[in-house]
Amino acid sequence: MKLLIIKLFPEFILGLVLLSSCEKVVDVKLKNAEPRIVIEGLLSDQDTNQTVRISKTISFTEPDRFEGVESASVVLTNEIGQTINFNPVAAGVYKSSKFAGVPGEKYVLKVTVEGQVYTATSSMPEAVKLDSISFKKISFFGNDNIFPVAYYNDPEAVSNQYLFLVRFKEFEPHLLSEDRFNNGNNVIETLFFDSNDLAIGDTARIEMRGIDRNVYRYFFSIAQITGEGGPPVSPANPPSNFSNGALGVFSAYTSSTIIAVVGNR
Amino acid sequence: MEYFKKFLLVCMLLFSFNKYGQAQNNFTVTGVLKDAESGETLIGATVKFTGKTEHVTTTNAYGYYSLNLPGGAYRLTATYVGYQTIIDTVELSKNVRRDISLTGQNLLQEVVVSSAKSNVNVVSAQMGVTKVNINEVRNVPVLFGERDIIKTLQLLPGIKSAGEGNSGFYVRGGAIDHNLILLDEAPVYNASHLLGFFSTFNSDAIKDVAVFKGGMPAQYGGRLASVLDIRMNDGNKKEFGAEGGIGLISSRLKLEGPLVKDKSSFIIAGRRTYADAFLKLSKDTAINKNVLYFYDLNAKVNYRFNDNNTLYLSGYFGRDELGLNKTFGFDWGNATATLRWNHLFSNRLFSNTSLIYSNYDYVIQSFEEQNDFQVKSIIRDLDLKQDFQYSLNNHNLRFGADIIHHTIEPGRITASEESAVNDDKVENRNGLELSVYFADEWKVTERLNINYGLRANSYSAFGPGEFRSYDTEGNIVRTETYNRGEIVKTYINPEPRFSASYQLTGASSVKASYTRNIQNLHLMSNSTATSPTDIYIMNSNNVQPEKADQVSIGYFKNFKDNQFEFSAELYYKSMLNQIEYRSGTDLRGNKNVEADLIYGDGRAYGLELFFKKRFGNFNGWVGYTLSRTERQFNNINMGSRFPSKQDRLHDISVVGIYKAGRRWTLSSTFVYNTGNAITFPNGKYRMNGKTVFYYSERNADRLPDYHRLDLSATLEAKPGKKLQSSWSFGVYNVYNRQNTFSMDFRDNPDDPTKTQAVRTTLFGIIPSVTWNFKF
Repeated sequence: MKLLIIKLFPEFILGLVLLSSCEKVVDVKLKNAEPRIVIEGLLSDQDTNQTVRISKTISFTEPDRFEGVESASVVLTNEIGQTINFNPVAAGVYKSSKFAGVPGEKYVLKVTVEGQVYTATSSMPEAVKLDSISFKKISFFGNDNIFPVAYYNDPEAVSNQYLFLVRFKEFEPHLLSEDRFNNGNNVIETLFFDSNDLAIGDTARIEMRGIDRNVYRYFFSIAQITGEGGPPVSPANPPSNFSNGALGVFSAYTSSTIIAVVGNR
Repeated sequence: MEYFKKFLLVCMLLFSFNKYGQAQNNFTVTGVLKDAESGETLIGATVKFTGKTEHVTTTNAYGYYSLNLPGGAYRLTATYVGYQTIIDTVELSKNVRRDISLTGQNLLQEVVVSSAKSNVNVVSAQMGVTKVNINEVRNVPVLFGERDIIKTLQLLPGIKSAGEGNSGFYVRGGAIDHNLILLDEAPVYNASHLLGFFSTFNSDAIKDVAVFKGGMPAQYGGRLASVLDIRMNDGNKKEFGAEGGIGLISSRLKLEGPLVKDKSSFIIAGRRTYADAFLKLSKDTAINKNVLYFYDLNAKVNYRFNDNNTLYLSGYFGRDELGLNKTFGFDWGNATATLRWNHLFSNRLFSNTSLIYSNYDYVIQSFEEQNDFQVKSIIRDLDLKQDFQYSLNNHNLRFGADIIHHTIEPGRITASEESAVNDDKVENRNGLELSVYFADEWKVTERLNINYGLRANSYSAFGPGEFRSYDTEGNIVRTETYNRGEIVKTYINPEPRFSASYQLTGASSVKASYTRNIQNLHLMSNSTATSPTDIYIMNSNNVQPEKADQVSIGYFKNFKDNQFEFSAELYYKSMLNQIEYRSGTDLRGNKNVEADLIYGDGRAYGLELFFKKRFGNFNGWVGYTLSRTERQFNNINMGSRFPSKQDRLHDISVVGIYKAGRRWTLSSTFVYNTGNAITFPNGKYRMNGKTVFYYSERNADRLPDYHRLDLSATLEAKPGKKLQSSWSFGVYNVYNRQNTFSMDFRDNPDDPTKTQAVRTTLFGIIPSVTWNFKF
């Protein structure tokens, strides 16, 4: 569960103390680092073509065209040593044939590219179902905001981490959550995000992913830098589960999705 | 135990000294220096006895002085900043008690009588110390017109603000928690209100402020970088008085007066901000139900039984309250209490016994339906301190012991029955800190003064609780359960302290010092801003004491009959066992926080120049610091040194105060410093459909340079009336410099295929006005 206060903390402070503060887009001279290999490995419990994307870092000032890295060998291995090859379908995009990952299993992703080998391990958690979605109106400083509320039953035996992907209109906020403070409960969780663009009549697609601890930490680390986990911390690269210095993360996750329309309540 | 034996030995030695001293035909002159009008004792006032030889001493924290001198006739000179100097004669043929009352200089007088012509700053072996004059605090312009001793301190060389408008400070490359902040001897763990924009100290209630940034005397310990020793007023002993002010942000009121004339007095001072009063004006119920304010209260009573016994009881209570409609509440604050007993065993042995309590806690409450909960975190100290001061011919000895019981409750979560949140608790941690110390301020020759001492510190972490050990990856390798009172780990550390001064000519000297400091409590914060939810951890089986060794040398000179003072100090400090944490560490309610800690070293070095005009219609100072602060961690920056967030190459402050005629006082401050070291992205990539930034080096970039000019003007009402009042007008950031508070990098909201850098400026030009009164 994402504690409400933590989410609100920066906004509250910004709202009151920074009444006189102002923001301005400025030019900053940034040093450019040598391009680094970035791997995004996604393996869900849905029967689909699983995807691995390989790219390189680009400089901050370039437009966001992340060119794919080609001629990589991408192999997934499960606990009993069975392997699945991923084949290139577009520049830097590698897909498997259709299959579903198995909750509870540990997977190893091995990527060989430009003479280097990068491996990452991720355990697919036991599946948790998103039971239902409602919407809630909350008012901050006179502004009405509508947020989705997720209902699910957190399993007690293990620690669970969740990544919520909320899609509506052109927006796609991501939210992290864990059961450290509400393990084993019927959870009712308000999904707070920064924009107040969700309106009555909008259709929202909410996907809840069950992710392993390392993947959670990876995304939590990114959120911390932007102040989403309380006061912002000194920026640093999120801890990747890939070996050999590759950036990015390999996540074996479970997925549960609900599409809902914001009602007039 | 070993230490205790040595301590006893030293005590016995002293009493044998005593007899020896008497045999030399020496006599002791003692007394207390007071303000003639209010009876407040004066701390750090200079008392000079000139006979065949010259002897100088300063009054201690209770206004008391004691000197052991050869018999004969002496001329006594007593001086204190802002007071008229008193000259008198003393015939020493037996032990003498001489209490002295000094008269404050009437600020409205046209002819300013020459005030403190003290050269103690040159003569004394102590270096790296600065006294802040409360009158200067009144005149220095500040944000929102809120007088603030800490913000005045930040204008001194070697002491840097932790950020725009922030009352956190860095001393000689130390972190915020490397400062020991004492209010009437009680440690204050979070010395800021409103997330750092105001300090917890109401300057109305403060009598004396001294900050030690190097050469720390042996009676202080527990922090690496500095001691900020703040003493509260005792209260007017002669007559009842009230004083207060009404400002834009807050109002304050102070009451003081005698309880039993010349024996007992009290003071009570309070402040409250009312930023939320403006919210109340809003018709919107979503806004006017929000709460945002802080208040604090200082109170003190004392009772003087006789010349040899005085009892003081003082306390502080402050609280910040934030509340957002009925959604959540957040409050935090300090409470301290100090009970002290001054006792004169003989006219040469001064004793002070203190019983001290300090508590800091925060409470977060969420009232969200079916998700309500409360999180509470506490740090609490109970401290018993015994301090002796003993004066011998050419020696001033100081020795004592200090025992502190620390408790930290890192986090306890409670929730209602209906809530989806579970009750939970991170185990309490207990520590016992025992220190004994001895120091001798020794006038070796007419020109050479040395101060040497040793502080021995032991720290024990003890049960009850589960203590875990971790491997280098942060995985638990062992868990051990300890019972109540069972010792988990003890650390013993000697802290040698040495400083010396050699007078070159009458008005200049060179000084050198070496100190070691130990710190057993550590603030977990690598955040870019201070937060009330920052947590402390203590030494454990995993966490070792932080250590710092500092050497410094300096040149000190006074000019023109001590009207001008100049100093240059060079320092080098090495710091061991510094703490950072791995990226992605969640400090909140984390039972395995120690698993995520990484340890490294730090170093800081620099040059501090200070030039001050101490009195006259125009006075003020210029301070300049040239310094570097670096850290080195195996896991950060691939093991190479990086500038820490305290690193600023140049730091300049200029303060000018001008008395324009009878009623106006004009003042101005200018500050300039190199921008903070910060980490900017060196690339970007895409993950999960979002832009993620790539960082190649820690703190390799800089925010733009910071500079700002503030002005203030104070108008005193016409004199003569019973009610004295004044208006203070201020302008913060006169030329509206857009200083960078933070630099954020994000997707361009208008063109998501691009990224942009966004600068946040906190305060542009801000005017303020305050009305002050006194009767």
